[in-house]
Amino acid sequence: MRKKLSEMDYGEEGVVKSIEGDLRNKVAGMGIRVGVRLKMATKQPIKGPVVVTVDRYSVSLGLGIADGIIVEVEE
Amino acid sequence: MKILLMGNPNVGKSAIFNRLTGAKVIESNYPGTTVDYTRGYMRLDDEDVEVIDVPGTFSLEPKDVAEEVAVKILKENRDSVVVCIIDSTKLERGLYLALEIIEEGYPVVIALNMWDIAKEKSVWIDAKKLERVLGVPVVPTIAVSGEGIRELVSRIKEASPVDIERIVRNLEG
Amino acid sequence: MKLTVDERWDLIDKIAEQVVKYGEYRYRLKDAIADITVKPLTGIPIAIAVLYGFWSFFGAFAGFFTDGFLVKLFDNHWLPWLQEVFPGKGGWLYYIFVGDPAADNCFEAFGVLTSALFVAIGVVLPAIVAFYLFLIILEDTGYLPRLAVLVDTVLHKIGLHGFAVIPMILSLGCNVPAVIATRALETGKQRFMMAVLLAIFIPCGAQLGIMFKVIPGHVGFVMLYLLAGFFVFGFILDRLLPGKSPEILLDVPPYQRPIAKNVTRKLWMRVKSFFKVAIPFVLLGVIIVNLMYLTGFLGWLANLLEPLLCGWFGVPKETVGPLVAAFLRKDLAVAQLSAIEMTMPQLVTSVVLVSLYFPCVATFAMLIREGREGGLKGVSQYLFGGLGALIAVIFLWGGLIRLIWIILGVA
Repeated sequence: MRKKLSEMDYGEEGVVKSIEGDLRNKVAGMGIRVGVRLKMATKQPIKGPVVVTVDRYSVSLGLGIADGIIVEVEE
Repeated sequence: MKILLMGNPNVGKSAIFNRLTGAKVIESNYPGTTVDYTRGYMRLDDEDVEVIDVPGTFSLEPKDVAEEVAVKILKENRDSVVVCIIDSTKLERGLYLALEIIEEGYPVVIALNMWDIAKEKSVWIDAKKLERVLGVPVVPTIAVSGEGIRELVSRIKEASPVDIERIVRNLEG
Repeated sequence: MKLTVDERWDLIDKIAEQVVKYGEYRYRLKDAIADITVKPLTGIPIAIAVLYGFWSFFGAFAGFFTDGFLVKLFDNHWLPWLQEVFPGKGGWLYYIFVGDPAADNCFEAFGVLTSALFVAIGVVLPAIVAFYLFLIILEDTGYLPRLAVLVDTVLHKIGLHGFAVIPMILSLGCNVPAVIATRALETGKQRFMMAVLLAIFIPCGAQLGIMFKVIPGHVGFVMLYLLAGFFVFGFILDRLLPGKSPEILLDVPPYQRPIAKNVTRKLWMRVKSFFKVAIPFVLLGVIIVNLMYLTGFLGWLANLLEPLLCGWFGVPKETVGPLVAAFLRKDLAVAQLSAIEMTMPQLVTSVVLVSLYFPCVATFAMLIREGREGGLKGVSQYLFGGLGALIAVIFLWGGLIRLIWIILGVA
């Protein structure tokens, strides 16, 4: 099932399918790219940032950034 | 000629700078400590060569002032050899920056730092093979103990610009 | 040849496939700690505990050395000895270097060799050592980025992001490096906001150390009041200032065990660079303030500002001396306040005023330097924008505290 990274639940894993235009360059250096597997590590309450694990390291992203990343989530 | 030390934040860049120059620079385990850059000198073939500890950056597309400074230093020192320091446990991310620098046409030497921690985490990197594929010197290092630093220094002069197409061919061949 | 982002990552994935092998990964204690310190349910209570621990350690460590040892050394041995042997009792040189010949403690004497030295070594040194020791351990373990993630939600509401917590904490040690650390924020708006807010609202370690000495029961209240001001004015600045407030994008490194050698070396370097800035200003501050007393300038200024100080803020006009000194060193100013006769609410108000009031000269110079990055426009933004914010804050936030006293019925 496809959903925004911001909509993934805690513990869900998936593969990045697409990243919104401008964001692509911004998150690339942190290892977030189309085709990479990632896992939702934590979500902070009241529209706080998310933390994802990618290539065995953790990255924290604001919810607006996470909105621009589409992930194919495994059922 | 100058030597630029570049890499992602928090990969032990400042520790390697200290090893190379004997200077004392503050290192921290959070990104963005080295916002002002530091210069020092090291002996290379009986010559004093300037070494710049460039602020850590994830890519050459800067997203804050510290990263802008990094890109500016790189652009202003076209005649430099870049020692690209990679955290061995985060190889892919480090290679992203290294490739960007190689694409810009700079001669690059890669230090695979935190080699001991990678082993501890059972990450096994074939450094020789990486060297063959990239066509640039690749040296495993442990900055905190000084291991590999001498080899790193001795291989700086082997660095030369590499064409990306050659890397693609090396991969296939 | 240059690659696109996707081509570059494609190439990296192919390289990695050929050169790296990942063995079985064992989930270890530090991964468990990494988990619970960033998950909100456990992370927030842990963050509060860590910050409270920081606070208690700071108070206990500084108190142990200052009250247990250095106060006795300065008040019982150094001061009487100096008052005895320094030549020319009653002369102006004596007044500048030793101060009041009748004083029985180093806070009140207010001479270069008495108060200035006592403030610098007796109170500030232990405070700064305690602060940096704890901070360096937090830094080296890798806790700070996790704290940044946890507070991002709140800080994003005022247009900053979680990473701003690092300049905020650094600022509790000394505002000068904190202003430099604002560069790790993304946009000009965020950097300016952060620099101004921390210069106005966050007291430095030196000042905190003295506050623990002068108003031990009220430091917590003053801190909460200043923190509330930080958020209120942050909220206003965020609405007023043009510019973007991008969201957090932050690497969260794994935990590491701090290496003792690194910790001690960093501690030494930070304490050293702190004192290089602090000592000359403390000594100079006492000389200048004493000269202004001797020439009658401070008396004249006190009378001039009396309506403002007494009428608006409700503090005695004598506080003008400390307020002038606060421009040079805030720690010195708080020490000076303790020697003025006033009620506890008045004392707390004046401590708040000293904190809000103009940043110390070293911070001010650093702010101008940051502004210079943006050319003439940047300098004027930092100078006039900063001053505007400062004047608004000192009148409103400084006046509000008096209102609180009036409502509470203590003033």
